[in-house]
Amino acid sequence: MEIFITLFITGVGLGALYFLVASGLSLIYGLMGVLNFAHGAFLTAGAYAAWYFTTEVRADGSLTSYAISLVLSGLVGAIFAVATEQLLIKHLYDRHIDQALVTVGLGLVAVSAYLGWFGSDPLIALPPTQLYDVVQIGDAFVGIDRFLYITVAGLVLLANFLMLRYTRIGLVIRAGVENRAMVTALGIDVRKAFTFVFFIGGFAAGLGGALATTYASGVGPTLGDAFLIYAFITVVIGGMGSIPGTAIAAVIVGTTQVLVNYYVQGLGDFVVVLLLAVVLLTRPQGLLGKVAH
Amino acid sequence: MILLPSKYRFVPLIFMLIAGFGAFTPLIDEPGLQQTFAVAFLFGGLALTYDLLLGFTGLLSFGHALFYAAGAYGAAFAMARWDWGIIPAGIFALFFAFLVALFTGTAALRVKGIAFAMVTLAFAEAGHVIVTLNLWGLSEGDKTLQLNFDSVPDFFLGVANTRNLYLLALITLAIIYLAVWWLTQSSVGRVWQALRENEERVSVLGLRPFSFKLIAFVLAGVMAAFVGVVAVVVTNNANPVMASTQTTISLLLMVILGGIATRWGAVIGGLIYVVLSQRLTTLDTQGALAGLPEWIGGPMSEPAFILGVIFILVVMFSPGGIAGALYRLRLKIASFK
Repeated sequence: MEIFITLFITGVGLGALYFLVASGLSLIYGLMGVLNFAHGAFLTAGAYAAWYFTTEVRADGSLTSYAISLVLSGLVGAIFAVATEQLLIKHLYDRHIDQALVTVGLGLVAVSAYLGWFGSDPLIALPPTQLYDVVQIGDAFVGIDRFLYITVAGLVLLANFLMLRYTRIGLVIRAGVENRAMVTALGIDVRKAFTFVFFIGGFAAGLGGALATTYASGVGPTLGDAFLIYAFITVVIGGMGSIPGTAIAAVIVGTTQVLVNYYVQGLGDFVVVLLLAVVLLTRPQGLLGKVAH
Repeated sequence: MILLPSKYRFVPLIFMLIAGFGAFTPLIDEPGLQQTFAVAFLFGGLALTYDLLLGFTGLLSFGHALFYAAGAYGAAFAMARWDWGIIPAGIFALFFAFLVALFTGTAALRVKGIAFAMVTLAFAEAGHVIVTLNLWGLSEGDKTLQLNFDSVPDFFLGVANTRNLYLLALITLAIIYLAVWWLTQSSVGRVWQALRENEERVSVLGLRPFSFKLIAFVLAGVMAAFVGVVAVVVTNNANPVMASTQTTISLLLMVILGGIATRWGAVIGGLIYVVLSQRLTTLDTQGALAGLPEWIGGPMSEPAFILGVIFILVVMFSPGGIAGALYRLRLKIASFK
């Protein structure tokens, strides 16, 4: 039972990281119909930024430096994402397949650029030692860093919820996911919302990169791609364009993966992809997705 | 869609003949070069089978690597564990890939568009996991499953016989090319292209889209498996990279780079992709990048960096890839006359 609790919370922590990547993917797809294959590159950029800041700029291993590195990596991810939207995707509006293809190319270019700059070996990051403490829940011991991931993802979920529910741009995004042609016909410039969605999606991915560096104890060129594939699975299971659906799916995917990987050695990844196939074949729109119109 | 006018239809086959004779000239004499071209021919053929789905039927699959790997691992497994000869092992692999394609296709084709892409991705990823984790002892895990040298004729073995491998790969490419040509010209092929343009109209005409898509999916899968079987002989192993999503994505790149739904475009895309990615690696070792500052020289030494940049530029500025660019050039020349 103790092991189950430890594994379960680790799984939710991993799900929290998936959520950070998947929330941006889901909104971008829901609003623009772009399957963004470069999202993993945003995450890796954030991860390298966090690594650089905590090992080269302020290598004191304090919680303050770590907190600054989180914000910094979020900004790096956001800037990368906005640049992608402005320089590449913007010019291909209404060419959905080409937009997806350009992000495939960008993902490839980014990974090889990281490879050229930082080498293929993972760079070791040294997060504050406090994060490696454990807390006792019942008889189980759980690493504190798990709770950090869950808290950060929870805050991002809350921020997304408040933004979508109570701001004007959130209203435009929600309406755009529902029916983009209608929003445009009403004279609202959806393109600003596109840029904004890339900004928040990139920010969450960059933030996820910094946390993933802590989770994986380092950052390599393909860190983002490893997360991207499960983030895709999360988005599709949750339903494209639905943030609550993505959050639920992230917890399901993370816990399933960790639990099955422990109890049936190594089969977790296998079960997760089969889960995706089963969900899609029985409920093509995902758990909370709207039926395509 | 840009098809060659009929008088040019045989040009790719003539080029393949020339390439075949080329192996006997000093031009392509070095075994290293012959090996590079052999792999390039195989990827040209593989890209063509992918184009059958993507270009001619309008099915975006992210799982094509599964069938390539099913062919490769099926054959390598039968040869290594059961000591079968290459021919029975190859037939076994094709039959195995047929079953895998029939099963995954029947399931995946129940959904459309992005959902279809994701289901195929999931099945391929499942295959990749089976191979890398060596589930049920079917593979060698991260290591490669080596070719059993007793199973293949001697004239395919050893560096001295690389020319035979080159010819084998070229013949494979020619077979795939002719098969795809015949298929896309057949009445079934016309239904595929109609499906790509407008699925509703096809069903209004009384044809079941599902059956035709399944035929395309299974045929493309079996042909990819055929390339996989030959790849085991040419590269002497079956390896986990064959089953990875990265392989499918590189096929996508090849088809887009060369020109979608043109047959020869996919082949050219595959050739260019493989030759560039192998030759660009030597760019660095030859010191061609020595003068560049590290921040640009580092990425430039990665072939995928340059290929990725070319790919982005093609998608943005030359829709239809190389074939599309040539087509526009011809139109321009024609308008001057």
